[in-house]
Amino acid sequence: MSSIRVPTALRAYTGGQGEVAVEAVTVGAALQELAVRFPALATHLFSPEGQLRPYVNLFLNDEDVRSLAGEHTPLSEGDRLMILPSVAGGWTMSTSLKAVDHSALQTSMAVRMGALIAAFVTDQTWLVPIVAALMLIGTARGKPDFGFAYRALRKLNWIAPDLIPDNPEPHRFALGVGGTLLAAATVAFIAGLPVVGWGLTWVVIALTGLNLFAGFCVGCAVYYWLNRIGMPGFIKAPPPGIIPGQRPSRPE
Amino acid sequence: MSLRVSSELMAEIGRHGEEQYPEEAAGLLLGAVDGETRSARRVLPLANVFDSEQRGRRYLINPLDILHAEDEAERVGMDVVGVFHSHPDHPPTPSKFDLDWAVPWYVYLITSVREGVASESRAWKLQDDHSQMIEELLTVEQEAR
Repeated sequence: MSSIRVPTALRAYTGGQGEVAVEAVTVGAALQELAVRFPALATHLFSPEGQLRPYVNLFLNDEDVRSLAGEHTPLSEGDRLMILPSVAGGWTMSTSLKAVDHSALQTSMAVRMGALIAAFVTDQTWLVPIVAALMLIGTARGKPDFGFAYRALRKLNWIAPDLIPDNPEPHRFALGVGGTLLAAATVAFIAGLPVVGWGLTWVVIALTGLNLFAGFCVGCAVYYWLNRIGMPGFIKAPPPGIIPGQRPSRPE
Repeated sequence: MSLRVSSELMAEIGRHGEEQYPEEAAGLLLGAVDGETRSARRVLPLANVFDSEQRGRRYLINPLDILHAEDEAERVGMDVVGVFHSHPDHPPTPSKFDLDWAVPWYVYLITSVREGVASESRAWKLQDDHSQMIEELLTVEQEAR
Protein backbone atom coordinates (compact mmCIF):
# COMPACT_ATOMS: atom_id res chain seq x y z
CA MET A 1 0.00 0.00 0.00
CA SER A 2 1.33 3.42 -0.97
CA SER A 3 -0.16 6.87 -0.75
CA ILE A 4 -0.81 9.80 -3.06
CA ARG A 5 -0.49 13.35 -1.80
CA VAL A 6 -3.14 15.57 -3.36
CA PRO A 7 -2.28 19.29 -3.60
CA THR A 8 -4.61 21.83 -1.99
CA ALA A 9 -5.93 22.91 -5.38
CA LEU A 10 -7.26 19.43 -6.13
CA ARG A 11 -8.66 18.57 -2.70
CA ALA A 12 -12.01 20.06 -3.70
CA TYR A 13 -12.32 17.01 -5.96
CA THR A 14 -11.27 14.37 -3.41
CA GLY A 15 -13.78 15.36 -0.75
CA GLY A 16 -11.07 17.31 1.05
CA GLN A 17 -8.65 14.38 1.33
CA GLY A 18 -5.00 15.36 1.11
CA GLU A 19 -3.58 11.82 1.33
CA VAL A 20 -5.18 8.91 -0.49
CA ALA A 21 -4.03 5.32 0.03
CA VAL A 22 -3.72 3.26 -3.17
CA GLU A 23 -3.16 -0.42 -3.91
CA ALA A 24 -1.63 0.13 -7.37
CA VAL A 25 1.96 -0.95 -8.01
CA THR A 26 2.89 1.60 -10.70
CA VAL A 27 2.53 5.37 -10.93
CA GLY A 28 0.21 5.12 -13.97
CA ALA A 29 -2.03 2.57 -12.27
CA ALA A 30 -2.12 4.66 -9.10
CA LEU A 31 -3.38 7.68 -11.06
CA GLN A 32 -6.02 5.53 -12.74
CA GLU A 33 -7.07 4.20 -9.34
CA LEU A 34 -7.35 7.77 -8.06
CA ALA A 35 -9.34 8.82 -11.14
CA VAL A 36 -11.78 5.91 -10.71
CA ARG A 37 -12.26 6.66 -7.05
CA PHE A 38 -12.72 10.41 -7.64
CA PRO A 39 -14.27 10.87 -11.11
CA ALA A 40 -14.47 14.66 -10.60
CA LEU A 41 -10.69 14.69 -10.22
CA ALA A 42 -10.09 12.71 -13.42
CA THR A 43 -11.00 15.61 -15.73
CA HIS A 44 -8.46 17.79 -13.95
CA LEU A 45 -5.64 15.26 -14.17
CA PHE A 46 -6.24 14.09 -17.73
CA SER A 47 -7.16 15.95 -20.92
CA PRO A 48 -10.12 14.63 -22.97
CA GLU A 49 -7.47 12.75 -25.04
CA GLY A 50 -6.33 10.94 -21.89
CA GLN A 51 -2.98 12.78 -21.62
CA LEU A 52 -1.81 14.12 -18.27
CA ARG A 53 -2.54 17.85 -18.21
CA PRO A 54 0.52 20.11 -18.62
CA TYR A 55 0.40 21.43 -15.06
CA VAL A 56 0.49 17.98 -13.45
CA ASN A 57 3.89 17.00 -12.02
CA LEU A 58 4.46 13.75 -10.19
CA PHE A 59 7.14 13.30 -7.59
CA LEU A 60 7.88 9.96 -5.97
CA ASN A 61 9.53 10.51 -2.60
CA ASP A 62 10.84 13.91 -3.78
CA GLU A 63 12.03 12.65 -7.17
CA ASP A 64 10.38 13.68 -10.43
CA VAL A 65 8.92 10.51 -11.99
CA ARG A 66 9.94 11.80 -15.43
CA SER A 67 13.52 11.12 -14.35
CA LEU A 68 12.52 7.63 -13.20
CA ALA A 69 10.37 5.50 -15.50
CA GLY A 70 7.41 7.88 -15.91
CA GLU A 71 4.05 6.20 -15.53
CA HIS A 72 5.77 2.79 -15.42
CA THR A 73 7.69 3.74 -12.27
CA PRO A 74 7.00 1.01 -9.71
CA LEU A 75 5.47 1.87 -6.35
CA SER A 76 6.60 0.00 -3.27
CA GLU A 77 5.02 -0.38 0.13
CA GLY A 78 5.09 2.95 1.95
CA ASP A 79 5.97 5.05 -1.12
CA ARG A 80 4.47 8.52 -1.29
CA LEU A 81 3.54 9.82 -4.72
CA MET A 82 3.01 13.58 -4.77
CA ILE A 83 0.94 15.41 -7.33
CA LEU A 84 2.38 18.91 -7.57
CA PRO A 85 1.00 21.59 -9.85
CA SER A 86 3.33 23.44 -12.19
CA VAL A 87 2.23 27.01 -11.85
CA ALA A 88 2.97 28.77 -15.11
CA GLY A 89 1.54 31.38 -17.40
CA GLY A 90 2.25 34.61 -19.15
CA TRP A 91 0.73 36.95 -21.65
CA THR A 92 2.06 35.41 -24.83
CA MET A 93 0.02 33.26 -27.15
CA SER A 94 1.90 30.03 -27.34
CA THR A 95 1.70 26.34 -27.91
CA SER A 96 1.85 24.52 -24.61
CA LEU A 97 5.31 23.41 -23.60
CA LYS A 98 6.20 20.59 -21.27
CA ALA A 99 8.91 20.39 -18.67
CA VAL A 100 11.62 18.40 -20.48
CA ASP A 101 14.42 16.98 -18.35
CA HIS A 102 17.52 18.08 -20.24
CA SER A 103 19.75 16.31 -17.70
CA ALA A 104 18.29 13.00 -18.90
CA LEU A 105 18.85 13.96 -22.55
CA GLN A 106 22.45 15.10 -21.96
CA THR A 107 23.37 12.04 -19.89
CA SER A 108 22.08 9.81 -22.67
CA MET A 109 24.05 11.77 -25.25
CA ALA A 110 27.27 11.50 -23.23
CA VAL A 111 26.88 7.73 -22.76
CA ARG A 112 25.94 7.25 -26.42
CA MET A 113 28.97 9.25 -27.62
CA GLY A 114 31.28 7.33 -25.30
CA ALA A 115 29.91 3.97 -26.47
CA LEU A 116 30.25 4.85 -30.17
CA ILE A 117 33.76 6.27 -29.84
CA ALA A 118 34.79 3.18 -27.83
CA ALA A 119 33.31 0.98 -30.57
CA PHE A 120 35.36 2.81 -33.22
CA VAL A 121 38.62 2.86 -31.28
CA THR A 122 38.43 -0.86 -30.43
CA ASP A 123 36.85 -1.72 -33.84
CA GLN A 124 33.89 -3.45 -32.19
CA THR A 125 31.24 -3.07 -34.91
CA TRP A 126 28.73 -5.10 -32.86
CA LEU A 127 28.32 -2.16 -30.46
CA VAL A 128 26.80 -0.03 -33.22
CA PRO A 129 23.61 -2.10 -33.69
CA ILE A 130 23.16 -2.20 -29.89
CA VAL A 131 23.24 1.60 -29.69
CA ALA A 132 20.98 1.77 -32.78
CA ALA A 133 18.46 -0.54 -31.09
CA LEU A 134 18.50 1.48 -27.85
CA MET A 135 17.95 4.69 -29.83
CA LEU A 136 15.09 3.23 -31.86
CA ILE A 137 13.47 1.67 -28.77
CA GLY A 138 13.85 5.06 -27.04
CA THR A 139 12.18 6.74 -30.01
CA ALA A 140 9.28 4.27 -29.92
CA ARG A 141 8.80 4.80 -26.19
CA GLY A 142 9.44 8.55 -26.25
CA LYS A 143 12.25 8.12 -23.71
CA PRO A 144 16.01 8.78 -23.83
CA ASP A 145 18.06 5.88 -25.22
CA PHE A 146 20.29 5.57 -22.14
CA GLY A 147 17.61 6.47 -19.60
CA PHE A 148 18.76 3.58 -17.41
CA ALA A 149 22.22 5.16 -17.06
CA TYR A 150 20.60 8.46 -16.07
CA ARG A 151 18.41 6.73 -13.49
CA ALA A 152 21.47 5.01 -12.01
CA LEU A 153 23.30 8.34 -11.72
CA ARG A 154 20.19 9.95 -10.21
CA LYS A 155 20.04 7.19 -7.59
CA LEU A 156 23.64 8.01 -6.64
CA ASN A 157 22.69 11.70 -6.51
CA TRP A 158 25.49 12.48 -8.95
CA ILE A 159 23.22 14.43 -11.22
CA ALA A 160 20.18 16.63 -10.73
CA PRO A 161 17.16 16.94 -13.03
CA ASP A 162 17.17 20.02 -15.24
CA LEU A 163 13.57 20.71 -16.16
CA ILE A 164 13.24 23.20 -18.98
CA PRO A 165 9.92 24.14 -20.62
CA ASP A 166 10.40 22.68 -24.08
CA ASN A 167 8.77 20.46 -26.71
CA PRO A 168 9.65 16.76 -26.23
CA GLU A 169 8.66 15.79 -29.80
CA PRO A 170 11.68 17.25 -31.67
CA HIS A 171 14.06 15.45 -29.30
CA ARG A 172 12.24 12.20 -29.98
CA PHE A 173 12.46 12.83 -33.72
CA ALA A 174 16.19 13.59 -33.46
CA LEU A 175 16.73 10.33 -31.54
CA GLY A 176 14.89 8.46 -34.30
CA VAL A 177 17.07 10.04 -36.99
CA GLY A 178 20.23 9.03 -35.10
CA GLY A 179 18.92 5.50 -34.56
CA THR A 180 18.12 5.20 -38.26
CA LEU A 181 21.62 6.38 -39.27
CA LEU A 182 23.17 3.75 -36.97
CA ALA A 183 20.81 1.09 -38.38
CA ALA A 184 22.09 2.07 -41.85
CA ALA A 185 25.67 1.84 -40.50
CA THR A 186 24.88 -1.68 -39.28
CA VAL A 187 23.66 -2.66 -42.74
CA ALA A 188 26.91 -1.24 -44.19
CA PHE A 189 29.02 -3.32 -41.77
CA ILE A 190 27.08 -6.47 -42.70
CA ALA A 191 27.50 -5.64 -46.39
CA GLY A 192 31.27 -5.47 -45.86
CA LEU A 193 31.51 -1.69 -46.16
CA PRO A 194 33.20 -0.71 -42.89
CA VAL A 195 34.22 2.74 -44.18
CA VAL A 196 30.58 3.59 -44.89
CA GLY A 197 29.52 2.09 -41.53
CA TRP A 198 32.07 4.09 -39.53
CA GLY A 199 31.32 7.19 -41.60
CA LEU A 200 27.64 7.04 -40.63
CA THR A 201 28.58 6.27 -37.03
CA TRP A 202 30.79 9.37 -36.96
CA VAL A 203 27.92 11.48 -38.32
CA VAL A 204 25.91 10.39 -35.25
CA ILE A 205 28.89 11.04 -32.93
CA ALA A 206 29.36 14.53 -34.41
CA LEU A 207 25.65 15.44 -34.19
CA THR A 208 25.48 14.11 -30.63
CA GLY A 209 28.59 16.10 -29.70
CA LEU A 210 27.19 19.28 -31.28
CA ASN A 211 24.06 18.90 -29.18
CA LEU A 212 25.89 17.90 -26.00
CA PHE A 213 28.61 20.56 -26.09
CA ALA A 214 27.12 23.40 -28.14
CA GLY A 215 23.45 22.90 -27.23
CA PHE A 216 22.35 22.62 -30.82
CA CYS A 217 20.08 19.74 -31.82
CA VAL A 218 20.21 19.32 -35.60
CA GLY A 219 17.38 16.76 -35.57
CA CYS A 220 15.21 19.26 -33.64
CA ALA A 221 16.05 21.98 -36.18
CA VAL A 222 14.96 19.60 -38.98
CA TYR A 223 11.76 18.88 -37.03
CA TYR A 224 10.97 22.59 -36.70
CA TRP A 225 11.77 23.16 -40.36
CA LEU A 226 9.32 20.39 -41.29
CA ASN A 227 6.81 22.06 -38.94
CA ARG A 228 7.30 25.36 -40.75
CA ILE A 229 6.67 23.89 -44.18
CA GLY A 230 3.50 22.28 -42.79
CA MET A 231 4.56 18.61 -42.84
CA PRO A 232 1.72 16.58 -41.24
CA GLY A 233 2.60 15.20 -37.81
CA PHE A 234 5.20 17.88 -37.09
CA ILE A 235 2.81 19.91 -34.97
CA LYS A 236 5.08 21.74 -32.53
CA ALA A 237 6.54 25.14 -33.34
CA PRO A 238 9.81 26.13 -31.66
CA PRO A 239 9.56 27.81 -28.25
CA PRO A 240 9.61 31.55 -28.98
CA GLY A 241 12.84 33.48 -28.58
CA ILE A 242 15.28 30.74 -29.63
CA ILE A 243 16.82 29.65 -32.90
CA PRO A 244 14.97 26.42 -33.85
CA GLY A 245 17.13 23.53 -32.60
CA GLN A 246 18.90 25.60 -29.96
CA ARG A 247 18.53 24.37 -26.39
CA PRO A 248 16.21 26.70 -24.42
CA SER A 249 18.35 28.37 -21.76
CA ARG A 250 18.47 26.73 -18.38
CA PRO A 251 16.30 28.29 -15.67
CA GLU A 252 18.48 29.97 -13.05
CA MET B 1 -16.60 33.25 -6.16
CA SER B 2 -14.70 36.32 -5.11
CA LEU B 3 -11.26 37.27 -3.88
CA ARG B 4 -10.63 39.72 -1.05
CA VAL B 5 -7.21 41.27 -0.74
CA SER B 6 -6.11 44.04 1.59
CA SER B 7 -4.68 47.20 0.05
CA GLU B 8 -1.38 46.41 1.80
CA LEU B 9 -1.11 43.04 0.09
CA MET B 10 -2.10 44.57 -3.25
CA ALA B 11 0.71 47.08 -2.80
CA GLU B 12 3.14 44.24 -2.03
CA ILE B 13 2.04 42.37 -5.17
CA GLY B 14 2.41 45.57 -7.19
CA ARG B 15 5.91 46.17 -5.80
CA HIS B 16 6.99 42.63 -6.70
CA GLY B 17 5.71 43.21 -10.26
CA GLU B 18 7.55 46.53 -10.47
CA GLU B 19 10.80 45.07 -9.11
CA GLN B 20 10.78 42.26 -11.64
CA TYR B 21 9.69 44.47 -14.56
CA PRO B 22 10.19 44.00 -17.53
CA GLU B 23 10.12 40.34 -16.53
CA GLU B 24 7.00 38.67 -15.24
CA ALA B 25 6.73 38.36 -11.48
CA ALA B 26 4.84 35.54 -9.84
CA GLY B 27 4.02 34.10 -6.48
CA LEU B 28 1.37 32.44 -4.38
CA LEU B 29 -1.52 33.78 -2.35
CA LEU B 30 -1.95 32.25 1.08
CA GLY B 31 -5.17 32.68 2.97
CA ALA B 32 -8.50 31.23 3.83
CA VAL B 33 -11.51 29.91 1.96
CA ASP B 34 -14.92 30.69 3.37
CA GLY B 35 -17.63 29.31 1.14
CA GLU B 36 -17.46 31.24 -2.10
CA THR B 37 -15.04 33.84 -0.80
CA ARG B 38 -11.27 33.61 -0.64
CA SER B 39 -9.33 36.00 1.51
CA ALA B 40 -5.64 36.46 0.86
CA ARG B 41 -3.75 37.00 4.08
CA ARG B 42 -0.19 36.67 2.92
CA VAL B 43 1.66 36.79 -0.37
CA LEU B 44 4.62 34.60 -1.13
CA PRO B 45 6.70 36.03 -3.99
CA LEU B 46 8.54 33.18 -5.75
CA ALA B 47 11.29 32.98 -8.31
CA ASN B 48 10.25 32.93 -11.94
CA VAL B 49 12.29 29.98 -13.23
CA PHE B 50 11.22 30.26 -16.86
CA ASP B 51 14.03 30.44 -19.42
CA SER B 52 15.58 33.89 -18.77
CA GLU B 53 15.14 35.26 -22.31
CA GLN B 54 11.40 34.71 -22.13
CA ARG B 55 10.64 35.92 -18.64
CA GLY B 56 9.17 39.08 -20.15
CA ARG B 57 6.15 37.08 -21.16
CA ARG B 58 6.18 33.83 -19.21
CA TYR B 59 6.53 32.62 -15.69
CA LEU B 60 7.04 29.22 -14.16
CA ILE B 61 7.15 28.37 -10.49
CA ASN B 62 9.18 25.33 -9.48
CA PRO B 63 6.75 22.56 -8.38
CA LEU B 64 8.86 21.93 -5.28
CA ASP B 65 8.33 25.60 -4.30
CA ILE B 66 4.60 24.85 -4.39
CA LEU B 67 5.15 21.88 -2.06
CA HIS B 68 7.10 24.03 0.39
CA ALA B 69 4.49 26.79 0.17
CA GLU B 70 1.71 24.30 0.91
CA ASP B 71 3.63 22.96 3.88
CA GLU B 72 4.27 26.50 5.11
CA ALA B 73 0.61 27.45 4.65
CA GLU B 74 -0.45 24.37 6.60
CA ARG B 75 1.97 25.24 9.37
CA VAL B 76 0.38 28.68 9.82
CA GLY B 77 -3.17 27.40 9.41
CA MET B 78 -3.77 28.75 5.92
CA ASP B 79 -4.19 27.35 2.41
CA VAL B 80 -2.54 28.20 -0.88
CA VAL B 81 -5.63 29.80 -2.40
CA GLY B 82 -4.19 31.09 -5.62
CA VAL B 83 -1.47 32.56 -7.75
CA PHE B 84 -0.52 36.11 -8.61
CA HIS B 85 1.50 37.18 -11.61
CA SER B 86 2.23 40.29 -13.61
CA HIS B 87 1.69 41.04 -17.29
CA PRO B 88 4.39 43.60 -18.20
CA ASP B 89 2.87 46.17 -20.57
CA HIS B 90 -0.13 43.97 -21.22
CA PRO B 91 -3.68 43.94 -19.88
CA PRO B 92 -4.48 41.80 -16.82
CA THR B 93 -6.47 39.30 -18.85
CA PRO B 94 -5.50 35.63 -19.15
CA SER B 95 -3.74 34.49 -22.31
CA LYS B 96 -4.15 31.16 -24.07
CA PHE B 97 -0.93 30.12 -22.32
CA ASP B 98 -2.42 31.07 -18.93
CA LEU B 99 -5.47 28.95 -19.78
CA ASP B 100 -3.44 25.93 -20.95
CA TRP B 101 -1.45 25.87 -17.72
CA ALA B 102 -4.16 26.94 -15.30
CA VAL B 103 -4.56 24.83 -12.19
CA PRO B 104 -8.18 24.20 -11.23
CA TRP B 105 -9.57 25.77 -8.05
CA TYR B 106 -6.77 28.35 -7.71
CA VAL B 107 -7.69 31.99 -8.15
CA TYR B 108 -5.36 33.82 -10.55
CA LEU B 109 -4.68 37.44 -9.74
CA ILE B 110 -3.12 39.20 -12.74
CA THR B 111 -1.60 42.65 -12.39
CA SER B 112 -0.69 44.78 -15.34
CA VAL B 113 2.65 46.57 -14.94
CA ARG B 114 2.87 49.41 -17.47
CA GLU B 115 6.25 50.98 -18.09
CA GLY B 116 7.40 49.74 -14.71
CA VAL B 117 4.38 50.89 -12.73
CA ALA B 118 1.81 48.46 -11.37
CA SER B 119 -1.69 49.41 -12.50
CA GLU B 120 -4.90 47.43 -12.94
CA SER B 121 -5.43 43.99 -11.36
CA ARG B 122 -8.12 41.45 -12.12
CA ALA B 123 -8.89 38.01 -10.69
CA TRP B 124 -9.72 34.89 -12.69
CA LYS B 125 -10.51 31.26 -12.14
CA LEU B 126 -10.41 28.26 -14.45
CA GLN B 127 -13.85 27.01 -15.46
CA ASP B 128 -14.24 23.38 -14.39
CA ASP B 129 -14.25 22.09 -18.00
CA HIS B 130 -10.89 23.84 -18.66
CA SER B 131 -12.43 25.76 -21.58
CA GLN B 132 -11.91 29.30 -20.28
CA MET B 133 -10.96 31.54 -17.39
CA ILE B 134 -13.91 33.22 -15.67
CA GLU B 135 -13.51 36.59 -13.99
CA GLU B 136 -13.94 36.69 -10.24
CA LEU B 137 -15.02 39.64 -8.17
CA LEU B 138 -11.88 41.29 -6.73
CA THR B 139 -12.37 43.30 -3.57
CA VAL B 140 -9.48 45.40 -2.30
CA GLU B 141 -10.04 46.27 1.34
CA GLN B 142 -8.59 49.51 2.62
CA GLU B 143 -8.25 48.46 6.23
CA ALA B 144 -5.39 46.41 7.54
CA ARG B 145 -6.05 42.70 7.82
